[in-house]
Amino acid sequence: MTGVEVAFSEAAGLRTTDDVPLAHVSVELGHLYAEDFAGGPERLRAHFARVRPWVDAVRAAADGRAAGGRARMSTCFLVDDYFTPFSSPAELVPQLLDAARAVGVEIDYLARESGCATAHGVPLAQLVEGRLVADPAPGTTGARPPATENGWLCNGQRSPVATASAMSGAVAWVPPVQNGARNHSVFLDVELRSGAADSQRWSCAFLATVWQLLRLGLLRNDGRSVADAVPWDGALPDVWGDLPPLLRLRAGARAFSAYRTFSILAPRFLDVEHAVRTVLAQVAIDEDVRAQVRRRARTDDPTLPVEVVDRLGYLFDA
Amino acid sequence: MKGVAPRRGIPAHDDPDGREFLTGEVRTGVVRHGSAVPSTLAARILALVPGERVRTLERPVSYAVSPDVFTGVDCTLPSGSGRQARGVGTLTCRVALVGGRVLQGSAYTRLTRGTDGRRQSWSHYLARPGSVEVLGRSSVDDLAAGLLAAAADPAHLDPGGAADRTVDVVRWAPGLDGRLPLRAARTRLRWVVTTGDQDALPSAALTTGAGAFRTLRVGLPAGVPAMAAVELCEDVALHDWLLTTLLDRVSRSRLDDPSGSLEPLLPAVEHLLHLWMPAARTDPRLVPLRTGLDRRAGLSRQWDATVARIRDQFSLRTIMLLSAHGPAVGDGTAGR
Repeated sequence: MTGVEVAFSEAAGLRTTDDVPLAHVSVELGHLYAEDFAGGPERLRAHFARVRPWVDAVRAAADGRAAGGRARMSTCFLVDDYFTPFSSPAELVPQLLDAARAVGVEIDYLARESGCATAHGVPLAQLVEGRLVADPAPGTTGARPPATENGWLCNGQRSPVATASAMSGAVAWVPPVQNGARNHSVFLDVELRSGAADSQRWSCAFLATVWQLLRLGLLRNDGRSVADAVPWDGALPDVWGDLPPLLRLRAGARAFSAYRTFSILAPRFLDVEHAVRTVLAQVAIDEDVRAQVRRRARTDDPTLPVEVVDRLGYLFDA
Repeated sequence: MKGVAPRRGIPAHDDPDGREFLTGEVRTGVVRHGSAVPSTLAARILALVPGERVRTLERPVSYAVSPDVFTGVDCTLPSGSGRQARGVGTLTCRVALVGGRVLQGSAYTRLTRGTDGRRQSWSHYLARPGSVEVLGRSSVDDLAAGLLAAAADPAHLDPGGAADRTVDVVRWAPGLDGRLPLRAARTRLRWVVTTGDQDALPSAALTTGAGAFRTLRVGLPAGVPAMAAVELCEDVALHDWLLTTLLDRVSRSRLDDPSGSLEPLLPAVEHLLHLWMPAARTDPRLVPLRTGLDRRAGLSRQWDATVARIRDQFSLRTIMLLSAHGPAVGDGTAGR
């Protein structure tokens, strides 16, 4: 018997991975607290006026990197409805849009922070937590799990905790150590969540990590895309929870997710973003998704960094 | 370089010749559940990563495997020469349930040449998950010799320990009743796979020594994905465990003694005999190697002979029982 070709496969053994549309860069136009909104339209307009020149600069830089010289760029704004919900979509969204437009800035997408915890019933934060692979300290062989504190994630080895027996004598302080530090350590320990299982709350830093991953188009649930943008039909609810996690405000907007992100933030968010980068560096992205993005970037954004944290850009300006 | 056997360096991450160097360990044992674990329960207990599917296959024998879980390592690598090299990166771990009975933990990694001779930031390693970068002067053969040595230093890379940890999550999962269907020792199979050696013929060498530790070294020509070899190693570990367990049951049951009890064999007959399916999921390109290894090691021959012996004994004893209690055997009417 020669020339026989046989094939057998079982559907349950196969999984496909959704491709999501990608712009070149996703620009976040700031993050505001309730008191910023309380300052009225003037304060909002002043915010977007400060942001505007940087948005133009990001576009120019992205054009320079994009194959073909013209970058696809989308802008987004994240509203905090998770920690301190305030106002309502019906009241706040028009204010925001008007203030931005008044100074020539377009907001393409509006997202809710609680959508980073759960979007359309998919527990996004939990998905990301399940993909954490802790940075191992020297001496980690695989036999024992890396030293982890439940709900915390750090970038090295914590200071040993003095035990009762050790406390009886004089205990010299042992410093924490950053893994892979160059000469000296910058040690960071990030709280991922707090509270008991039934009243658990994700930290701002962890939700901001999910937010970055969404903007980078790197999250999937069983291969399916998550938190897809819902086009805005003009109506706005009175309750944040009734608003889709991600709303496309402008019909002609470029894709929400992008090869790279750029966030224009007040300097007070620097510590949160340091935490985001610490956590993000310990998230194992699905291999199919990573390969998909890399394959597309080859012709679209040829200098895209391999490491995900290197795809994040920032501007911190008061 | 012609005529001189080159000392093979550790392949780069994207090796121009397509060379790959992998190592891992498989830990095989029985699942603590009184009956065969149904595939719906298997899919639940093997869901180790939220949002990732458990792969289940029903043919030719039911097989469910967890999604890959990564664990970080930064430690000394064993070597034959005693030269110290450091490995930093991640191990890929997964757990499979075969036939609803056999629980297999597998942890492995791709060993690649280190970057800039020093430890990188962790994001560097997670951009290449499932690989460990080797820092320090070393060679494939030196590391392979260390990795396949039975003596273990607790400071050295321990994929077997990582496999066990992953299995433990599943072993005590809610839904399993905790009852052992049969007592069987767990086996460890440490393996090394190299691919892409010039002019190399496919090769495989299995070593079974005293105790539960086995080694397997596989060499493949360029072009065969190393992942296929990982599955081959898991398949060899499964069948080695099945044979080891069956032989253990036979030795406990004293088959040569007509008055010896066949009782110790019952769980093996009930739970294991139907699981012998070498190369069930082996990549077609590796089937000749798999069957060659089986022929050389005589695994299937020994299994078949043992199964035949067990069946003969059961038949014999049945006949003896019938002749003791029922009509004479051989009069042409028995059983009609």
